[in-house]
Amino acid sequence: MATVLRTHSAFARLLVGKNGRILNNSLDLGAKLLPESQLALSSKHYSSYGKSPFVRKIKEQYNYEIEKNPPEWEYVKRLLPFTTIPKIIPKDSYPSGWVPPKEEALNHPYFLSRTKNAELPIYLKITYRGMRKISIIRKIEGDIWLLNDEIKQYLKQKNKRYVETRVHEVARLIETKGDYVNDLREWALSKGF
Amino acid sequence: MGSRQITEKSLSMLRSLPRITLANIRDNPGSKITQKRGRGQHGGDKHGAGNKGSGQRQNYMRLGYETGNNPFYLRIPHENYYRGHHLKREYPPMTLLELQKLIDRNRVDISKPIDIASLIKSGLYTLNPDQKHFGVNLTDDGADIFAAKINIEVQWASEQVIAAIEKNGGVITTAYYDPHSLFILKNPQRFFETGQAIPRRMIPPPDAIEFYTSAATRGYLADPEKISQERLKLSQKYGYTLPNLESDPQYDMLTDRKDPRQIFFGLQPGWVINLKDECILKPKDEELLQFYSM
Repeated sequence: MATVLRTHSAFARLLVGKNGRILNNSLDLGAKLLPESQLALSSKHYSSYGKSPFVRKIKEQYNYEIEKNPPEWEYVKRLLPFTTIPKIIPKDSYPSGWVPPKEEALNHPYFLSRTKNAELPIYLKITYRGMRKISIIRKIEGDIWLLNDEIKQYLKQKNKRYVETRVHEVARLIETKGDYVNDLREWALSKGF
Repeated sequence: MGSRQITEKSLSMLRSLPRITLANIRDNPGSKITQKRGRGQHGGDKHGAGNKGSGQRQNYMRLGYETGNNPFYLRIPHENYYRGHHLKREYPPMTLLELQKLIDRNRVDISKPIDIASLIKSGLYTLNPDQKHFGVNLTDDGADIFAAKINIEVQWASEQVIAAIEKNGGVITTAYYDPHSLFILKNPQRFFETGQAIPRRMIPPPDAIEFYTSAATRGYLADPEKISQERLKLSQKYGYTLPNLESDPQYDMLTDRKDPRQIFFGLQPGWVINLKDECILKPKDEELLQFYSM
């Protein structure tokens, strides 16, 4: 993130290079340079950063205190990233229209698991410049052929036409020819997935 | 001078000189012979300049000239609407519906003030400050369904969005962050691990000052009294009763705001966060305190 000159103390860091020129950083020294150490910085050029020696003549002039178990640590914790995706706490209503999976979904001989973001794994794949549209149901567990039959029947009933499907048993997905994403979502939610 | 003296001299030179590396070595003098320009009847025929024409006479055409054709760089009309595009600030949008979805799925905690750091932390909103992204633009898609009481800080918001949030008893602030602060907000953990002191937040550029000092846009530099006036005005314009902030049980959370120089909630500029030992290094020196309070 930042090029920091190697020093012995945590507070005495010198930002050099591009980062040093950023207004925010240029004065964030935490330590003052003595004239001789400044000379040592400017006059010598080392072949690489790793081979340059430690800057030794920096005198730590700034006073600071180390606070252990500070009350502000709660604010730091808030900023740290999630270690896992947070669990969804059940609520009375979901204004966004998101529907939680139901218990009854486990009673079917097949199962559709939600994605990591708790969405239904139903997608639309558009190819050939929008000429071919394929709806894909992913993450199917259990009797995929039974699920295929039920989908076919549901789509035929709803759209009053035969809908071609393709089952990929190994990849556990079903492709249907045409854009039936909304119908399939409706069907999956009615089954409780 | 004997050979021993030469050896000693070169050894002493080696001791005082910087270490020999690939970056500072060069060939021994005289080890490389450069090709000379030939002279004479056949040695100097064309000297690599070819036969006749501008190659030989070294009178090349000007750059882009196509010997009488309408040149390519003039054939296409000048498109002036791209002028200054490299300087314009971008605010990648996020809709109120998306925000509601994050809240429904517990990706953001509404019991705490929401800022750009918590939106990025949710994992479903990304920002690239190096691509001139200056923060989140909260848009009004899903303003009708929005039903959360939040204290949110965004970088850009329209009037409808402000109305949608304040209708539910929430608070919205628009605040400016410089790209360096946004880099830190995007991944605070990585910044803390570098062991640097938290910098100050910069003030907005001249063309953004008006937006961030205006009470109508809920700017973070606006007068709080004017903001409460504008809240009332907006509620009358959109026809809703403004919930009373003072009597709210979450009053402390809803009125929590950052200092214009602060990047994180609750953490002052100048502090060094030590994640390993879980301690905070706070400057006590007068000079530093003065610098970070400016």
